Amino acid sequence: MIKYILKRLLALIPVILGVIFIIQFILYISPNDPAVVILGVDYTPEGAAQVRESLGLNDPFIVQFARYVLDLLRGDFGNSYVTGEPVAVQLAARFPNTLILVVVSMTLCTILSLPIGIQSAVKPNSWFSNITAALGMVGIALPTFWLGLMLILLFAVHLEWLPATGSVSLTGMILPAITLSASFMAGTMRTTRSSMLDCLNQDYIRTAKAKGVSHHDVIDKHALKNALLPIITVVGVNVGTQMGGSVLTETVFSYPGLGIMLTNGIKQTDTPTILGCLVVMAICIGICNLLVDIIFAFVDPRIKSQYSKRG
Amino acid sequence: MGSNTTTEVLTRNAILKQFKKKTPMQEIMIRFVRNRMAVVGIIIFAVILFCAIFADFICDYDTMVVKLNVAERLQGPSAAHWLGTDKSGRDVFARVIHGARTSLWIGFVATALSLLIGGILGAIAGFFGKWIDELIMRVMDVMLCLPEMLLAMAIVAAMGANVVNMILAIGISRVPRFARIVRSSVLTVRGMEYVEAARAIGARNGTIIARHVLLNCLGPIIVQVTLIFASAILAISSLSFLGLGIQPPAPEWGNMLSEARENMRDFPHLVLAPGMAIFLSIFSLNLLGDGLRDALDPKLKQ
Amino acid sequence: MADEILQIRDLQIEFVSEGEVTKAVNGVDLTIAEGKTLGLVGETGAGKTTTALSVLNLVPKPQGKILSGEVILDGVNVLEQSEHEMEKIRGNTVSMIFQDPMSALNPVMSVGEQIAEVVKIHEKVDEKAAMERAREMLETVGIPGERAVEYPHQFSGGMKQRVLIAIALACSPKVLLADEPTTALDVTIQAQVLELMKELKRKFNMAMLMITHDFGIVAEVCDEVSVMYAGKIVEHGTLEDVFDHKCHPYTEGLFNSLPDIDNRKSELKPIKGQMPDPTNLPTGCPFHPRCDYCTERCSQEEPPKVQINDTHYVRCWLYENTKESQLKG
Repeated sequence: MIKYILKRLLALIPVILGVIFIIQFILYISPNDPAVVILGVDYTPEGAAQVRESLGLNDPFIVQFARYVLDLLRGDFGNSYVTGEPVAVQLAARFPNTLILVVVSMTLCTILSLPIGIQSAVKPNSWFSNITAALGMVGIALPTFWLGLMLILLFAVHLEWLPATGSVSLTGMILPAITLSASFMAGTMRTTRSSMLDCLNQDYIRTAKAKGVSHHDVIDKHALKNALLPIITVVGVNVGTQMGGSVLTETVFSYPGLGIMLTNGIKQTDTPTILGCLVVMAICIGICNLLVDIIFAFVDPRIKSQYSKRG
Repeated sequence: MGSNTTTEVLTRNAILKQFKKKTPMQEIMIRFVRNRMAVVGIIIFAVILFCAIFADFICDYDTMVVKLNVAERLQGPSAAHWLGTDKSGRDVFARVIHGARTSLWIGFVATALSLLIGGILGAIAGFFGKWIDELIMRVMDVMLCLPEMLLAMAIVAAMGANVVNMILAIGISRVPRFARIVRSSVLTVRGMEYVEAARAIGARNGTIIARHVLLNCLGPIIVQVTLIFASAILAISSLSFLGLGIQPPAPEWGNMLSEARENMRDFPHLVLAPGMAIFLSIFSLNLLGDGLRDALDPKLKQ
Repeated sequence: MADEILQIRDLQIEFVSEGEVTKAVNGVDLTIAEGKTLGLVGETGAGKTTTALSVLNLVPKPQGKILSGEVILDGVNVLEQSEHEMEKIRGNTVSMIFQDPMSALNPVMSVGEQIAEVVKIHEKVDEKAAMERAREMLETVGIPGERAVEYPHQFSGGMKQRVLIAIALACSPKVLLADEPTTALDVTIQAQVLELMKELKRKFNMAMLMITHDFGIVAEVCDEVSVMYAGKIVEHGTLEDVFDHKCHPYTEGLFNSLPDIDNRKSELKPIKGQMPDPTNLPTGCPFHPRCDYCTERCSQEEPPKVQINDTHYVRCWLYENTKESQLKG
């Protein structure tokens, strides 16, 4: 088992390096001149040349990439072009907020959509199933930011139950979390439903029924355990997409997370900030994928036995 | 497989039917039309497409969509302005209609771009195999590790916020999806016995594979095109909402929402209309995609 | 005959899908005596599996509908039992072995757990005793008991079928329904599994319904045979009746489709045409469009059951005027 986890962990490293490489390459070929950003009104050609030299921007791309990765290992994300402060400090302040938001929204999404999806698969032609399927179709098509605005209108402006701006507190978290989880809820529900339906139609379900296993146990013990595999995958992928989605949600609710930091960084062409935000998000997503792989190994005996035999 | 008896009997019936009556194309059409939700989807989408194509006939761009008209700012719905006016006195209805043109046009070009690049990369990977395949697919995997939204933002960040860059950003970020479909279809076709058979009778490798690959992946690609078209429309409005896409006064649903936020408290209709437009576009395309998938591959239907 | 363990009378089942009605089983009568084996032979889609599923009351719902008939298992009409009562019967009084062993085992449960589960449901034993029984059952079907902790993907097809047999027999059922248990296996493995089933049947003294399309298997394990076509039993009799005095043109056709090892120059005579579309069965005798002896009457009226002798009957107009005595004489 440990061998499996180590193997997955090792496989994660090139992926994260690859992501950093791609992002940095995209920003490297950018026509924006960091010197202009840093110097602002004090721009002179000589000063600009000096800035470029001190940041090492004249080095070949591959050298810059290697330097960035090495700095990263020491926890150094570089300094912001705009404020001159270390990006790492900003990241440390912002990242936990985004993480909390994503975790709360993931939890919300999972505890609501799994039972609904299972129930609608067990009774595929009931009114419950039809209504949830319709809600799912609507939910998937709802643009996150618009939903956020509508929720603000209803709960903050009209009913005055909840604050319109998001924050790391019980009340400040509710609307952003609902907004962020809505479209994923629909997706997870649909996957759960179709995965369960698929499993319920398998031959081994018929075997179980022929053994005299009760209806309840057929669903809980036989179908759900098999259906979990694709569901876990989708939940894992969702974490990544939610990281992307959090940018919009945070903007709508002015929630102090990575998303707003990233958007501001882009608007100010502050490359180290942009890079830092994206790298942190990418690492997060990578770790999530790793977790999914590990959970998989515990649920799926086909992977488990492969590794337990050889130690 | 479903409960064996039922599926066996039913698939056999389906096969027998095909012998009896219709061509596959007619079969697909019939299955599609029978799916009520898909028909609803295609009708909604047709209306939106109509608005996009004939936007200039419905309302004039210069006078209604972009022209400042401070005297008539922030009006509620009326006979002159069906959906009222925004903070600059521009007609909201006209902007929503012209916004359809923006979204559909950019979405279409971005989807086509990603289909083109993804298709070529996928075909190369599948056809040549070995290290070329390995290299291309590894890059695609890495790209998939980054959410499409973030990748698109990174590209816009580097290139600057304008229409061309947004098309590039949205198009490139969706390349892996098409690359995967085309590659797997090439691999499937390459291993199939009829290709072996065709090769055995001396047909040329390239021509056979190209023809069969095309036939083989057409279904999944058509479905994926509708779904990616939808996601492109969402991405356009998302980027514009963040101020990284189409800038006002050019009409775009996302930037309309962004502008409307200030006055949302007193004029909720300003956020209602453009949001509804985004929702309906995506909704209709998703219905269309689901309908097409079920019609093209009835076995997948639950 | 008082010792009938399973009796099916006038069973009619249809499937409804997308507004189309598929007539799967059209008035089947079957009887199996205690400890005996009945072979149910016919082409794919003749309704054999559906008939067997009705004994477990597991005809897929809501598409499948049992229109009429009774299935009396050990004195109880299973079609009238509640779902809860059926759970006590399934796996206990009657078990079923399915056609495809590859997909019939749950991939995320160890084979031991899967065998122990059926024991736990039907007998008041604790976890440990159930696992012990599972190991014993594995040994019985020729698999080392310590493999109970392994998962289905670690077993070959033949081994999986053995596991399924172990599951089916774990509670010593009175009736075993075997739905083409060897079709998905290699020929050499087929023989092993058949041999095992024969042996276990003797050991547990079960009655068995053997569904197959292979007359070789019938000859090897069965006491009686029913030939099924388009949801009907067209001919029924003892092994001798059906093998040596076959009457129905369809039975004859099935035999003629088999290669003859003694006379390799003889041509195979496959039955012409296709199985009829079960949503649109022919009028009269369902076999008439493919029958060499078809008459005007065959296409209009359904043939009655004609008793050839005490154990042998056929549904065919050809034998309408045949008296038992005439045949014998």
